[in-house]
Amino acid sequence: MTPFRAMRRGYEARFEPVERVVLAKVARDVSAMLREEAGLDLFSDAGEPGPSSHHAHGKGQAWANGLLAPDELTDADLARLTGVTGVGRIPTDPAAQRLLPDASKDDTDIADEFRRLTQNDVAQAKVDRLEAFAALLDLPSGDDAPSTVGRHGAPPPVRVPREDAEQFAGALTDVRLVIAERLGLKTDDQVMQLTDEIMWDRQAGREIPVATDGRAARRFWSGVFVAAGYAQETLMDVMLAELRGKRPLA
Amino acid sequence: MTTSPLPLLVPMGSAGTAVEEDTEEALASGIADPWVTIVWNDPVNLMSYVTYVFESYFGYPRAKAEQLMTQVHKNGRAVVSSGGRERMEVDVQAMHGFGLWATLQESGARGVA
Repeated sequence: MTPFRAMRRGYEARFEPVERVVLAKVARDVSAMLREEAGLDLFSDAGEPGPSSHHAHGKGQAWANGLLAPDELTDADLARLTGVTGVGRIPTDPAAQRLLPDASKDDTDIADEFRRLTQNDVAQAKVDRLEAFAALLDLPSGDDAPSTVGRHGAPPPVRVPREDAEQFAGALTDVRLVIAERLGLKTDDQVMQLTDEIMWDRQAGREIPVATDGRAARRFWSGVFVAAGYAQETLMDVMLAELRGKRPLA
Repeated sequence: MTTSPLPLLVPMGSAGTAVEEDTEEALASGIADPWVTIVWNDPVNLMSYVTYVFESYFGYPRAKAEQLMTQVHKNGRAVVSSGGRERMEVDVQAMHGFGLWATLQESGARGVA
């Protein structure tokens, strides 16, 4: 992976094919986990029974007449009727709790109300940007991808349009937060130490082992964590520079 | 919060030389505002990212953004905005969107410090 650089059409970096594949995969995994943990599918239109469903048909008539029986109301119905994004399901997965944290440390009323008002919107936005992140990293393939190989036989760079850069950086954050939770990284020192180890291994030219056991898996995910951090750090360098009015065009 | 995973790490101390403002002082000075948004330290988010969020979302100048970032890193938390409860809910939601852990509370509440 090379550092992100500010180019005319966006921020560009070269990722190894394996880096693209792994980061896209983990982003989709985080998206699926978040969708499940936040109960998003309870509220999505895709999850609604179709018109052929007897139950949905009956309910549809009731909707049309404005005569909903209370016991016919689902969470999704309530969400539509009230404009409230739904009763946020409190995540049980610690990683999801980190992405959708309590808005109060000691006042459960505040935390619960905040979750009810905002959780679905926050979770959906994260799911959307994780999916977009993964799609941007997907390697071109198939007949509709004329430029699978760029100049000099290298794959084309990852290009993040400026208007998408904040979402891209946010997706990197969510991926890193979840991996850190899975790795049990709790302190700044632990993260710094792990980062040093990975950078040392990389400089020493050590290969990332195939994840055949717990230790190798940990090493693998540590590498992904550090790679995602490198991408984010170098992206922040150029984004901050431009935000501050200095435009270091490459 | 951590520094970058780059081989050449920027020393933490270089991030902000501004006078640190403690949470209590921030709360005392913002007494007219009934609610505050607090951002908490975490081991994952990069200092540059947190600074970017403070500059881009709140529109804070670089010096203030870096000062708040340093405060979060060293003190474990910082008051990043104050105002009415609904306004603070908007800010907390935005922070969660960015992946920062934020909470809101009444500025006079016990246990703030």
